[in-house]
Amino acid sequence: MKYIGITTTVPSEVLIAAGYTPLDLNNIFITADDISKYIKIAEEDGFPASYCSWIKGIYGVCLSHDIKEIVAVVSGDCSNSIVLSELLADRGIIVHPFEFPISRDYLSIKSSIDKFMNHFNVSLEEVESVRKSLSPLRNKIIELDKLSYTECKVKGFENHLYQVCMSDFNLDYKKFELEIDEKLIEIRNRESLPFSLRIGYVGVPPITTDLYDFIESQNACVVYNEVQREFSMHRHSDCRDVYEQYLLFTYPYDTGSRISEIKKQIEERKIDAIIYYNQAFCYRSVQYLLMKKAIDIPILHIEGDKSVNVDARTKLRLEAFIDMVKDRKLFKNCSE
Amino acid sequence: MNVLGADMGSRAVKLIIMNDDKVIYKKQLSTMEFYRDYCNYRDSLHFDLSRLTDIPVDIKISTGYGRNNTNLNDFTSINELKAHALGACYQSKEEDFILLDIGGQDVKVMRIENSVLTNMDLNDKCAASCGRYLENMANVLEVSLETLSEYSGNPVELNSTCAVFSESELIGKIAEGISLDRLCAGVNYSLFRRLKGILSHYKAKKLFVGGGVASNKAVIKFLGTEYDEVIPLPDAQFNGAIGCCVYGKMLYKLNNLESN
Repeated sequence: MKYIGITTTVPSEVLIAAGYTPLDLNNIFITADDISKYIKIAEEDGFPASYCSWIKGIYGVCLSHDIKEIVAVVSGDCSNSIVLSELLADRGIIVHPFEFPISRDYLSIKSSIDKFMNHFNVSLEEVESVRKSLSPLRNKIIELDKLSYTECKVKGFENHLYQVCMSDFNLDYKKFELEIDEKLIEIRNRESLPFSLRIGYVGVPPITTDLYDFIESQNACVVYNEVQREFSMHRHSDCRDVYEQYLLFTYPYDTGSRISEIKKQIEERKIDAIIYYNQAFCYRSVQYLLMKKAIDIPILHIEGDKSVNVDARTKLRLEAFIDMVKDRKLFKNCSE
Repeated sequence: MNVLGADMGSRAVKLIIMNDDKVIYKKQLSTMEFYRDYCNYRDSLHFDLSRLTDIPVDIKISTGYGRNNTNLNDFTSINELKAHALGACYQSKEEDFILLDIGGQDVKVMRIENSVLTNMDLNDKCAASCGRYLENMANVLEVSLETLSEYSGNPVELNSTCAVFSESELIGKIAEGISLDRLCAGVNYSLFRRLKGILSHYKAKKLFVGGGVASNKAVIKFLGTEYDEVIPLPDAQFNGAIGCCVYGKMLYKLNNLESN
């Protein structure tokens, strides 16, 4: 098995066609029993304390797991990824760059993916064939996501986890598809979850993975995970080719495109409030200003840094926010 | 329909009765007086409103620092931050603003957006930026809180972080022969300086102020250097109790809607 690390979602169809197994470095980092060991490796090598923990985590993972080659997204993700790729190349890791174009148009993404295919010496036919074999898995993940908001049968963390795994298909897409088959049977047989408030989670996947449990302890449930859903390529069946699939993927492009999709989902999923997450020291904290202006339901901005647990102050903020949004919903009829 | 709101603070208990949108009864009691003269303990704490007024009430809501302290029989207890946010929305008639509440032992700064609390900071471990600090310093200077609040010009520098050390520092300044107005201004300014830290993440044009310290003219004036408009809430000390009434009113309507 020839593994290749990825720094975020890339056209993995190309890598699979080239005989690689994509490995999302973020997933190794976040599923570790102790994520601090990876952060420590980066900080001992000179990364500042005031720097994104995801980037430090990827660096630590690459060095401690003897990762030989990676695909680094050098446009369409953050600028930290660019310097990370330079640093990892300096440490002897083979770095294959991939760029999502600044301009979100068909010709630009086609040019990027064509370059990527040429680099790995694969044809469009081979890539499309992989895309086709991934379709059943993608459809099942779409169904799981749908069960989250139509029947409230999926917990927020499950929704997050299975969609985020779609960046590397849990290393074996056939095995992962079987796992999802079983999960779907179990989920369909569940009772609906009895939560009174429907939350939309917007932003990159959280480092604080107990966030979902905390939200549920407040009698609210996440029915939409924005970026995780984008990772699942839920529009795949509407796309005529791989180029269109990665063109409609909103995550690497402008904030306006993301906002349009979020607003659509607020309607579709009957979302009561948004929790906007970004990693500490990330430029995405400024994207929040655009989100706040455009989204007309209550929105709370939270940040995570190095801990996988939500800190006490953020818990207090979440508690007060959810409490007041519940009141708004509860008392809506009284003020009319 | 009458709602009773009780805000049980560290120094005083504030009571409000509202009939629909109008305040019809208002009373402030010292915390000791409230528990000693108007409460009795029978399995749980019972507050006897009839010893204060014969106005009938339909629903009772309480708030205060720590839920255990506000656990009165017959009362629905609500989170203090929510009570202050609701009170300020009602009093200011606005939906997006920053609220600074300075009580006897705590300072709360809150960001309200679309009438919902989205961010807050509270003082932690230390109460040197609260009303009690002003009380202690006014005692040292042997002036009333009202007199203390009049002075803001040419403040004498008081640098101690600790409120107790500040008293010794103030005594040192008295011994240097510094005038009373500069000493008073210095006390007010030192409180404002401590508030600046907690306010640094709450930039906005407009700041509403609640709690007892909202009546300190000098502190309000100093806050004016940080915000375009600093507005003490009309009933600043009763803001939490008013918030309880606003909540109670909605709860009462909801219960009635459900029972019909």
